[in-house]
Amino acid sequence: MTRYLYEKDLRPMKYTILTSTKHDRTVRAIAHRLGMADAKLRMAMIRRLDMSLLENLESRWEMGQKHADGGDGVAGELGCELFTRFIPLLDTETMQSIYDETTTMIQNGLAVDDAITRGRERIRKAVLR
Amino acid sequence: MSILQDIKNAVRSRSIHVAYVDVGSCNGCDIEVLACLAPRYDIEQYGIYVHNNPREADVLLVIGSVTPQWVDKLRDIWDKIPEPKVAVAIGNCPISGCVYARRGTLTTPPVENYIPIAASVPGCPPRPTEILSAILSVAPLIFKDYEEKQP
Amino acid sequence: MKKTVDVSIPLGPVHPCWKEPVRLKCETAGERVLRVEVELGYMKKGIERIMRGRPWQEVMFLAERVCGICSVIHNMVFIETMEEISDIAVPPRAAYLRVIVNELDRIASHILANFSYCYTIEHETLAMYLLNTREIVLDNLERITGSRVNTAYMIPGGVRFDLLPEDAVTVLADLDKVEEEMRRHTRIFETGPLIALRSKGIGVMDREEAIRSHTVGPTARASGVSDSDLRLRHPTYQALGFEQITRTEGDNFARIMVRFQEIFQSIDLIRKCVTTLPDGPIRGGGLCRAGEGSHSGEAPRGELTYTIKTDEYGRVLDIAIRTPSIMNIEACAHAMIADAASIADVTSTFISSDPCVACNER
Ligand code: SF4
Repeated sequence: MTRYLYEKDLRPMKYTILTSTKHDRTVRAIAHRLGMADAKLRMAMIRRLDMSLLENLESRWEMGQKHADGGDGVAGELGCELFTRFIPLLDTETMQSIYDETTTMIQNGLAVDDAITRGRERIRKAVLR
Repeated sequence: MSILQDIKNAVRSRSIHVAYVDVGSCNGCDIEVLACLAPRYDIEQYGIYVHNNPREADVLLVIGSVTPQWVDKLRDIWDKIPEPKVAVAIGNCPISGCVYARRGTLTTPPVENYIPIAASVPGCPPRPTEILSAILSVAPLIFKDYEEKQP
Repeated sequence: MKKTVDVSIPLGPVHPCWKEPVRLKCETAGERVLRVEVELGYMKKGIERIMRGRPWQEVMFLAERVCGICSVIHNMVFIETMEEISDIAVPPRAAYLRVIVNELDRIASHILANFSYCYTIEHETLAMYLLNTREIVLDNLERITGSRVNTAYMIPGGVRFDLLPEDAVTVLADLDKVEEEMRRHTRIFETGPLIALRSKGIGVMDREEAIRSHTVGPTARASGVSDSDLRLRHPTYQALGFEQITRTEGDNFARIMVRFQEIFQSIDLIRKCVTTLPDGPIRGGGLCRAGEGSHSGEAPRGELTYTIKTDEYGRVLDIAIRTPSIMNIEACAHAMIADAASIADVTSTFISSDPCVACNER
């Protein structure tokens, strides 16, 4: 059995971290970017990220805005690096497959906007999974 | 007074192992406990060894007002310390919660609600010399003739 | 969280090397550390929640108690934010005195960080030397401010106490002593072959990762992030001709050496301040007003930001504190320790980033 000794339910504490002024603002911004409800994103974050990443959410988001996905339009729209390396909500393989699929759709003649909308839809699903 | 007790008294008076546990403080008191290690105060000349391992400690220094994670774990740590043992509260935090005992806080002072405290050193933070003298004066009181005092 | 390996080694919360409780859960395959999960919550006092709705006179003391080790800088940044909001000017003498106290605090904090590192790699002799030198610095802090920790020295529009001429002489004499001792300690650290074995090339964080997780302070500067010292933008430091120190290795050794070098730099800054201390009043006075503002300062561990909103009586309506340890601990756990070659290096790498859990959680 791989259970830690003295384990405690961390969810209330993680929630406390996310409710401070700046974190709350950041969570809202990320939810807006992803186009999903705040509460759902909060739930996904509490499940996926550890406590120190949650504390650091704000500066990672800031740096992500500045440095992530320079140059590549589609990747920038989807937030490829932003949501894998800066704020690891998805693993790299899933993101790569979403990106590949979106670029194929664009090459097959689908309008760029539509393809990105579909890509985002898949990202939302992957985050909540 | 048995000979065995005499030997135990002699040994215990010169060998006090200290563990400190921070249960949610500003760590101002932490570093004052650490400063006791400095050659200037030289805590080891009294036979005190700061070890930070509850399983072989005699004295537990408790620092800070109790945060949610510690509510159950503090008792765990206290139970792990072998007898005879004594807990000393360092700073205002374990006594009253210091500045943290206000509306909106997450802490639940005092520490006395969780484990028995034998002595307190008030101050925010207390000086290293005060911490030192508290340990030195409370340890013999508890440890001397410990077995004979047992009912 | 999905388990990828079967051996999970939790370190902490009570650990002989750690001064404050934090828990690292390391997933390992053999000796190699695959990833680390940080469990916090042991020091979460909810200080931002306590601060809300309180007058600045109270928040000032609360701000110091975010972190005892770097209490002076918390005080300074909070006061400077309040000054920025309410347009209060500081007399030049007070500004210089602030730098003196701040740098003394920085020296004490850096020595403590290096002490912890030496203690963790079991070089107890050097650790004790360092701790003894720290006492001299704290003596001077006490001589100027009246307290060793949590000094509450700065107030809006000035400082509490003046530096008397006879004290200035003692401070300078003590600084010489500290500098001489620190030269010796730095030499021991720099040339020790066993220290190098445990420090060089361990816990490496490259520049890109340092930027990605927004590391600050000596941890970032050891990885070669330029322009990361906010003292470069502070007017008083600019007048004193401050220059930032960077190294490029990004390993444990570099982080400790950056701190050693910064100690010498701070000593020079204090010397310059004491000798060129301008005359004049130490308190300008002023009234805290309504407003909203954000201000950053360079703490011993890096960039510290206060974002405050006040009302017309100087009450703090909303406050957010971003402390350097938030970024540093996160980067340390997820970039330096992850993929470490040995579980034995986890503690020393963690300590080398100078983690301050009390800051991290507030
Ligand atoms: S008593 Fe004061 S110095 Fe000590 S931990 Fe509490 S707030 Fe910090």
